[in-house]
Amino acid sequence: MSEYKLLAPLTTRRRGRRGVSPALRGERGVVRGIGVGLLWLVVAISIAALVWMVAQAFRDTRAILDDPWGVPASLDFGNFVRAWTVGDFAVATWNSLLTTVVSSVLTVAIAAPCAYYLSRVDNRLTRGLSLYFILGLGIPAQVILIPLFVMLNKVYLTDSIIGLNLVYIGVSMPFTVFLLTAFFRSLPLEMEEAAALDGTTAFGTFWRITLPLAKGGILTAFILQVISHWNETLLALTLLQSTEKYTLPVALISFVQQQTYSGADWGGLFAGLVIVVLPMLIIYVWLGRRLTEGLTLGMGK
Amino acid sequence: MSLGLKEPRASKASPQNPASRKPASRKAPAQGRQPGSSIDVQRKKLLFPFVGPAFVLYTVLFIVPALGAVWISLHKWAGSGPMKFVGLDNYGRIFRDPLFLSSFGNTLLLLFVVGTAIFVLAFAMTLVLRDMAGKKVVRNVIFFPHLINALVFGVLAGFIFNPGGMVNSLLAPFGVTDPPKWLAQDNIFPLIMVTLVCTTTGYFTTILMAGVDRIPPYYYEDCALAGATAFQRLRYVILPLTWDVFGTCAVLWTISSVKIFEIVWVFGGSSGAGVPPTQSWTAAVYTYVNAFSGQSTPAYGAATASAVLSLALISVLVVLLRRAMRRDAVEF
Repeated sequence: MSEYKLLAPLTTRRRGRRGVSPALRGERGVVRGIGVGLLWLVVAISIAALVWMVAQAFRDTRAILDDPWGVPASLDFGNFVRAWTVGDFAVATWNSLLTTVVSSVLTVAIAAPCAYYLSRVDNRLTRGLSLYFILGLGIPAQVILIPLFVMLNKVYLTDSIIGLNLVYIGVSMPFTVFLLTAFFRSLPLEMEEAAALDGTTAFGTFWRITLPLAKGGILTAFILQVISHWNETLLALTLLQSTEKYTLPVALISFVQQQTYSGADWGGLFAGLVIVVLPMLIIYVWLGRRLTEGLTLGMGK
Repeated sequence: MSLGLKEPRASKASPQNPASRKPASRKAPAQGRQPGSSIDVQRKKLLFPFVGPAFVLYTVLFIVPALGAVWISLHKWAGSGPMKFVGLDNYGRIFRDPLFLSSFGNTLLLLFVVGTAIFVLAFAMTLVLRDMAGKKVVRNVIFFPHLINALVFGVLAGFIFNPGGMVNSLLAPFGVTDPPKWLAQDNIFPLIMVTLVCTTTGYFTTILMAGVDRIPPYYYEDCALAGATAFQRLRYVILPLTWDVFGTCAVLWTISSVKIFEIVWVFGGSSGAGVPPTQSWTAAVYTYVNAFSGQSTPAYGAATASAVLSLALISVLVVLLRRAMRRDAVEF
C-alpha cells in the first residue's frame, strides 16, 4: 500500500490528462481490441437502425419493399398523414399524451408526501408500510389483470381513460414511493430542523423546504413514470375496447392486426413506430443523464 | 445553536419527552400549537393525509386485485354468471394442459437462457467499457432501447426477417440461396429470444457499470503492482465488489422477464386472428388469451391460476436469489 501512496499524486495527475491511469493502460490485448471494436459496431448499428427507421417512415410501402436499404427521395409526410387519419393515430396520440401526463403528475403528487412520511418518521408502522409498498414491485401485471378488469367493469370504468389513469396511478405507487423514499432519505435534515425551530408547521417544512430541495428527484421520478406510462401495453390492451379510447401501443397493435386483412402498409407502420419512439428519444436527449442516474440509483439499493 | 438543532432529532426516540419541547415550542402557542409538540409529533399527525391516498390507491388497485387473483384462481368462472368453487382444480387442469406447459416453459427459457446470455454479455461489455475511451457515448447509446416499447422491436423484426426482407438480402451474397424460414411458427420463439438479448443487454450493462464505476481506481493500481493477471483481478477485485449489483440485476430480470408480453404479441406481424402462434406463447400471453381473446369461453380460473403460478415463480426465485447473494457486503 505504501507504494500506492507514493504513486498516487503521479497517477492522479496523469489520469487527468489521458483519462486512464497508467496502471490500467498496460492491457492492450487482442481480445480487448476486438471487444472495443465490437462495442463501437454495436453503437453504430444501433444509431443506424434508429436513423433507418425514421428514414423509412418517409417512403411509400412499395419503395420500402423494393429496396429496404434505400433513403427517402424527398420529405414525404404521406405516411404520417395516413397513419394519423386512417390508422387512428391522431386520437391515440392524444389519449396517450393525456393519460401519460395526468397519471404521471398524479402519481408523483400522491407518492411524494407518502415517501416523505416514510422517510422521516421511523417506527414499526412506517417500516411495515415501506415493506408493504415494496411488495408490489414483485407482482407482475398479468396477475392483477383479470380481477382489475372485473372490478372496474362493475363501476363502469373499463373502456375509460379515467379508469386507465387510476390503474396507472395505483400500479406505479410501489416504484415511485420506493424511489422517492430513498431520495428523501438522502436529503440533509438540517434545513427542515431550522425551519421547524422558526415555527414552521410540519406540513410547511415539507411544502416549502423539502419539496424545493427535492426538485431533482421528483423530476426524475416523474420522467420515469412518463416513460413507463407512455409504453404501457398490457393493461391498456385489456381495459380499452373502443377505437376512440385507444392509447398509442394499442392503436399500433390494432394497426398491425388490420394488415393481415388489408395488406401490408409498411410506410404507415413505420410512421406509427416513429410516433411511438420519437417522444422517448426527445426526453432521453433532453434528460438522459438524470434518467440513467435515477434508474441505476433507484435500483442499486 | 448546535444543541438547538439537534433537539428535534433527539426527540425522535421519545417524542413525548417533555425535555425536548424547549426551543421548538417557544413560539408554538402563538401559532396555535399544542405546547409540548415537537416537529416529530406534528409530523406523525400527517400520517393520514400524507400516506392515506397512496395507501388507499395502491391497496384498492394493486393489492386487492392481486388477492382477488388468488380467489378467482380457486373458482371455475367465465367472467359472468355464477362462480363455482373448485379448490385447486384449476391448477391441476393447467398442469395437464400442454399449451400451458409450453407457455410456462417458454417463460422459463426467457428467464434462464436469455437471462444467462444477457448477464454474460452485459458483464463482458462492462469489462471492456470500464476504461475505454468514449465510454459515456457508448453507454448512452446502448441504454436507449430500454426506453422503447418492445412492440417496436417485434414489428421491426417482422420486417427484417421477411422472406424478401433485409436479412435474406444480406445473406444472398454469401451464397445462401435457401435461407431458413425465419418467421415459421417454430422459429419465432428463438428469434424472440435473440431479439430480447439484443435489446435488453444494454440496460443491464448500464446498471453493472454503475457498480463497477464505484470501485476506486487504487484497487486496480494495487493489482497492477502486485502483478495480478486480468483474470485474477476479475476474480478478487471486480466480482466481490460488484456482487450486490449482480444480485439486484438478477432480481430485476426475474421480475421483468416473467411479464414479457407485448413483443410476443406482435412479433413478426400478426398471424390471422390476432393471436400469436401457440409455440411462442409465454405465461403472460396464456393468461391474456384465456381471459380476453374472445375465441372461446373465457376461462378466468385457469387464466388467473397461470398468473398466480408466475407470481409464485417470482417469489421463490427472489427469495432464493436473496439467500444466494447474501454475503458480507464489502465496505469500500
